[in-house]
Amino acid sequence: MSLRTPKQAGEWINRNKKISFSFEGEAFSAFEGDTISSALWAAEQKVLGRSFKYHRPRGVLSLANHDVNVMLTDGMDTNMRGDVVEIKDGMSLYEVNTSGGVKKDKNSYIDSISPLLPVGFYYKAFHTPRRLFPFWEGVIRRAAGLGIVNFNYPRILKRKQHSHCDLLVVGAGPTGLSAAYVAAKAGLEVTLIDENRHAGGSLGYNRAGDEAAVAQLDDLLSKVASQPNITVRTGAYAAGYYPDHLIPIVEAGGITKVRAKTVIVASGAFEQPPVFRYNDLPGVMLGSAAQRLIYRYGVRPFSNGIVVTANDYGYRVAIDLLEAGTKVAAVVDLRPGANGGAQAAELTHRGIKIYAGHCVYEALASSGKSGVRGAVICAYDDKENVALTDNKFTLECDGIAMSAGWAPAGALLYQAGTGMQFDYGVEQFVPNRLPEGLFAAGKVNGIFDLDQRMRDGARAANDALSYLGLQAPHNSIEQHVGNSPSHAYPMVPHPKGKNFVDFDEDIQIKDFVNAAKEGFDNIELMKRFTTVGMGPSQGKHSNMNAIRILAKIRGLPVEKIGTTTSRPFFHPTPIGHLGGRGFHSHRLTSLHDWHQANGAVFTDVGAWKRAAYYPTTGQTKEDAIQREALAVRKTAGIIDSSSFGKIEVHGADAALFLERFFTGSFADQSVGSCRYAMLLDESGVVVDDGIASRLAEDLFYISMGTSNAAAVYREMQRAQQEWQLTIGLVNVTGAYGAINLAGPSAREILSSLTDVDLAYEAFPNSSVREGIVAGVQARIIRVTFVSDMAYELHVPMAQVPHVWNALMSTGKKHGLRPFGTDTQRLLRLEMGNHMPGIDTDGLTNPFEICAEWAIKMSKPYFIGQRSLTILEKRPLRKQLVSFVLATNFNGEMPMDCNLVIDGGEIIGRVTSIGYSKFIDRCIGFAYVTPSKKEVGSEFQIRTDGGSLVTATVVKAPFLKNQKGA
Amino acid sequence: MQALDIKTIVPISPVAHAQPRDSAKWDVVNNMEIAVEFANADIEQARKKVLGVTDVSCFERYGVKGPQASQWLADHELAIPSNPNSWTRCDQKTLVLRLGSSEFLVEDQLGGLASKKLANNTSRIAGVYKVPRADAAFILSGREVLNLFSELCSLDLRATSLLANDVIMTQVAGVSAIVLRQTINGEPVYRLWCDGTYGPYMWEVLIEIATELGGGAVGLASYQN
Repeated sequence: MSLRTPKQAGEWINRNKKISFSFEGEAFSAFEGDTISSALWAAEQKVLGRSFKYHRPRGVLSLANHDVNVMLTDGMDTNMRGDVVEIKDGMSLYEVNTSGGVKKDKNSYIDSISPLLPVGFYYKAFHTPRRLFPFWEGVIRRAAGLGIVNFNYPRILKRKQHSHCDLLVVGAGPTGLSAAYVAAKAGLEVTLIDENRHAGGSLGYNRAGDEAAVAQLDDLLSKVASQPNITVRTGAYAAGYYPDHLIPIVEAGGITKVRAKTVIVASGAFEQPPVFRYNDLPGVMLGSAAQRLIYRYGVRPFSNGIVVTANDYGYRVAIDLLEAGTKVAAVVDLRPGANGGAQAAELTHRGIKIYAGHCVYEALASSGKSGVRGAVICAYDDKENVALTDNKFTLECDGIAMSAGWAPAGALLYQAGTGMQFDYGVEQFVPNRLPEGLFAAGKVNGIFDLDQRMRDGARAANDALSYLGLQAPHNSIEQHVGNSPSHAYPMVPHPKGKNFVDFDEDIQIKDFVNAAKEGFDNIELMKRFTTVGMGPSQGKHSNMNAIRILAKIRGLPVEKIGTTTSRPFFHPTPIGHLGGRGFHSHRLTSLHDWHQANGAVFTDVGAWKRAAYYPTTGQTKEDAIQREALAVRKTAGIIDSSSFGKIEVHGADAALFLERFFTGSFADQSVGSCRYAMLLDESGVVVDDGIASRLAEDLFYISMGTSNAAAVYREMQRAQQEWQLTIGLVNVTGAYGAINLAGPSAREILSSLTDVDLAYEAFPNSSVREGIVAGVQARIIRVTFVSDMAYELHVPMAQVPHVWNALMSTGKKHGLRPFGTDTQRLLRLEMGNHMPGIDTDGLTNPFEICAEWAIKMSKPYFIGQRSLTILEKRPLRKQLVSFVLATNFNGEMPMDCNLVIDGGEIIGRVTSIGYSKFIDRCIGFAYVTPSKKEVGSEFQIRTDGGSLVTATVVKAPFLKNQKGA
Repeated sequence: MQALDIKTIVPISPVAHAQPRDSAKWDVVNNMEIAVEFANADIEQARKKVLGVTDVSCFERYGVKGPQASQWLADHELAIPSNPNSWTRCDQKTLVLRLGSSEFLVEDQLGGLASKKLANNTSRIAGVYKVPRADAAFILSGREVLNLFSELCSLDLRATSLLANDVIMTQVAGVSAIVLRQTINGEPVYRLWCDGTYGPYMWEVLIEIATELGGGAVGLASYQN
C-alpha cells in the first residue's frame, strides 16, 4: 500500500533513487529527498509520534517543523524533526517520547487520567503539601524532557562565521524572491535565505490545481539565478535579530552571523489550526501540510478527506486534494454564506458538497486513536462561536485538512523593536512602525494575494534601496482585498474537551479558561501557567489562538491582549551550534617552555597561564609549596612575574595624572623611588593596586596585578580622554617580562650579574634602578611583596629566558629554586600583604582593609575621593584582620571563604588562609566586625565540615624583617 | 659581575611554543630564531595558494606615539599615512602603519632598515613616546583566507569593503589585533599582528582552521626568496 501520487511538477523527491530505512524496527522504503515524515506517510504509517504530556498518537500536522509531533532518534542524534529531516539510506529511527514504542506506548494511559492533570499541575504539585515534593519531583523528572542525551555524541565542529551584505532577505517565497531580484538588479549585494530545503515558499505548493504556479516559480528562480550578486542559502533560518542588523543564520553546518546594511523580512506566516475536539488525531492536518505532502513529496494526505476551513484558502486545498486523487467528502466552512470565490464554484461544479456556517464538532477516532474514521458536522454560530448540535451528522472520512488562518512569522520584527498593530482586515498583527533599515513584505506584512505579495517584495526592495541612498520609486503598501485570510475565532467548544490549541503541550481551550479563573489572565502570566508556546515549537502554531482565546475570555479586543515577548533564538538551536569552535584565548610568557620542562603545574590567572608550583616526582602540592616557600625564606626563590600589568605614563603631567588616578601622593615622589598605588572606583571601592616607579621627572612605570591589568589600562585611557593632560600612556604588559628574585641570597645572586650597586644604602626598599642584568637592559625594583629582600627585574619579554637562565645558573650554588603563584600567595600572606580581588571584593573600601596610609585625602581630587569623604564619617561594618590558629592546630583546616562566627552569628569570612611551615602556624586574613579587630580578640571559623575553629587576631606581618634587608 | 654580551642573546619567536621544534627547520633572522620551513617547497607552495600561515614575528618593528610622533618620524624621513587607520609603504621595504591620530607602527620587511635606525635613536623627546613592540606577526595567503577570517573576525575584510591602505584594529579570535591587506611579490596577502604573548594561541587557531580548509603552515623561507 502506498499513498504516492504520480509524479508532481516541481516535486522535491528523486523517484529514480530508492532508499531503505527502518522505523520502530519495521522496514520502509522511500525516495531520495523524502523527509522522515513524508516517507512514513507515503507508506501509510500514520502514527508518527506521541504527544508530550498525554502520550496521544500524533501524525503530520504542519509538515513544516512548526509543530513537534514527529521527533525521533537515530541512536546518535535525538529530537530529529521528522517533518524536515531528510531520510537517509539505512537510517534506523525510533520515536523519542514513548515507552514501548509509538504504536503501543505504555504511557498512553495518561490520556485517560488527564482530568487529574489540570492546568498549572506542575506549579500546584509544589505548593502543598511539602512532604509530597520529593514524590512529585520524581514523577515530573521522569516525565519531563524529550529524548535522551547521548553522552557519547562525538564533537562535530559547527563553525560560527561572519558574513556581510547590502541586503539580507529573510524568506525565499515569492515575496522574498521578488525583493531579492529587484534589489540585486539595482546593484545591491543580496543574501537570500530560507528555512526550507528549496526556495519558492508557498508558490511551490499552494496551487489550487493550477500548474501555472510552477512556471511562475521557475521564472522567479531563473531571475534570481541570473543575478550573480544574490547569494541564496536554503536550509537556513534566521534565528534572531540583534542591533545594527546582525542576524544569526543557522544551517546544518553551523551559524553565520550576517551583518546587513538593510534587511527585508519576508518570512511569511504560520498556518494556524482550527480548534475542535480531537483535532490532533493522525490524519487531521493543516491544509498547507496536505499541499506540501502532495507537491513536494508526491504523497496523498489521505484517501477520503474532509476540508474544514474558516477562510478561502481551504477551497484551494480541496482542489489540490482532488488533483492528487483524494476523494473530498465535503468542505466545511465555519463562515456563513457564500465564500471561496472561483475555487468554491469549481468545487461545486466538481460535485463537492460545501457546508457553509458549519463546523467539525469533533473528529472521530479509529481504533486506538490511530487515525480518523469520520467527523461529526454541525451548524456553527460564527458570531457567538458555538456549535449548534441539534442537527449534527457524521461524515465518514480518513483525514481532515484544516485551514483557519495564519499567524505572521514576525519574531525578527518583534526582536528588532517593530511596533505592531492588529489589522482587522486580515485578522493579524502587522508592522506599524519599523526600525530604520528594516522592512517587511508579504504575508508577514498582511499581504496574501500572490500578485500583491510579489509587488510588495519589489516595494520593500525599493524602500531598501532608498534607505541606502539609491534612486528608487516609492510605492505604498497595498491593502488586502476580499475576505480575511484568517478567522477571528476558529474555536469549537466541546463539553468533553480535547480540543487542542497547543499540540506541543497538549493544551486545550478549557486550560485557558481555568487559568484565567485562577487569575492568570495576562498573556505573559497565562503563557507561563499554561505553558502555551513554551514547547519546542515556541508557539508557532498556538500563540495566535491563545491570544484570541484570552481576548474572548476577557471580553477585550485582540490588540489589547498583545503578544508574548519574542526572544532570540526563536527556534530551538543545538548547543553544538551555539558552542562553535570554542576559542579560549590565553597568554603565555616567554618562559612557558621552561616552566613546562621543569614540571610546573599551571593555573589560569586572568588571561595568562602561570606556573602555580613545581612538584618533584611523588611530591604533593602542599609539600611542593612549602618547599618553595622555605627556599625563599632561607636561601632564594625566583618567580616568573611576566604577567604583571605594566604601564608607562609619559609626559609633563605624568605625576598629576597619577595624583588623580590613584589615592596616594606622587607629585613629590623622587626619581628612582617607588610608591604604593591604590586605585578606587568612583564609589570608593578598592579596584586594584600596584607600584609606581618614577624613572624620570616625566616618566612613571606602573606595575600591577595580573588579572586587572587590561581593565586598569582601559580606565586610564578613559580618564585621560576626560582630563586631557599632557601625558602618553603606553601599555607594555606584553612587551616586558618580569622576574622576582626573593630571599636572603637574592642580593648576592643578582650582584654577580649586574654592576648596579645593590647595597641597601644605595638601593633601599621601594626604589628603582635601571641597569644591565646579564647583559640585558633592565628595570630593577625593590619590592617587599613576598620577601623584604627581593628584586623585581623587568626586561624585554623576548630576553626574559636569557636573564632567568643566568640567574638560575648563578643561583644554583645558593639553592635558588623557582616558585609558583600558589607559593607566592603563601609568601605574601606571611608578609601580611593583602591582594585586591582575593582579600577584597566588589564592595570593599580602603578603610576596611586598613589602607588609610595609602590615601592622601588632602589632594584636590582623585577617583573615589568624594565617596571616601562620606564613607570615613560612617562607622565601619567590617575590617580585615590578620589571625592565627592555635599552635600545633591539627583539626580540619578552614578554607578561603569559610564563615567567621561569633556567638552563633556570622560576622565575616576568611579571605586567605594557609599553613606556613616556616612559621609553623596556620595564618590568614578574615573580615570581622570592628569589635573583633583588636589584637588578641578571638573568633571562630566554621569549616566546610561544620566544625568551629578558634582563631586569634594578631598583628601582621607574621614575619620579622630580615636582617640587612 | 659576569660578562655577558647582549649581542650573543638570540631570542626565539614568541610563536615558537606552538610550533614543531623538531620537524620544522629553524634559522636566525633579524636576530630572532624563527621557523623557516615546515614542509618541502612544493607542499608549502600548495598551502600558500589555499591558505598559508607564516610566522613573521622576526620582522623588525618600532612603535611610537605622542603628539610629536608624526613629526619625529617625518624628521627621520619616513612617509606618514595621511589618515589614522591607514598605512603606507616607505622605500619599498618598510611599512608605516598609522594606528591612531598619533600612534604609529613601523615594520621593516625583509631587508628593510628603518626600524633599526629608529631604535638606535635612544634620546627622549617631549611628546614622543616609544612603544616597545613584541608582536606576533603573520602573513596569511591564499584563496581561503577570507573564509578563515569569517570565523575569527566580525568585520568585513573583503577587498571590496576595504581601501587598499586601510589598517583594521579589531578582535581576531577574541584577541586585539591589527589587520591589513598587502601585496608581497605580486601576491595579495593579509597581514596580522597581535601581542606576542597571544602568539602561540593565535598560531594554534590559525593553523587549526587553515588545515581544515586545506592549507597550513608555511615557513618564512618562502618569502625570503
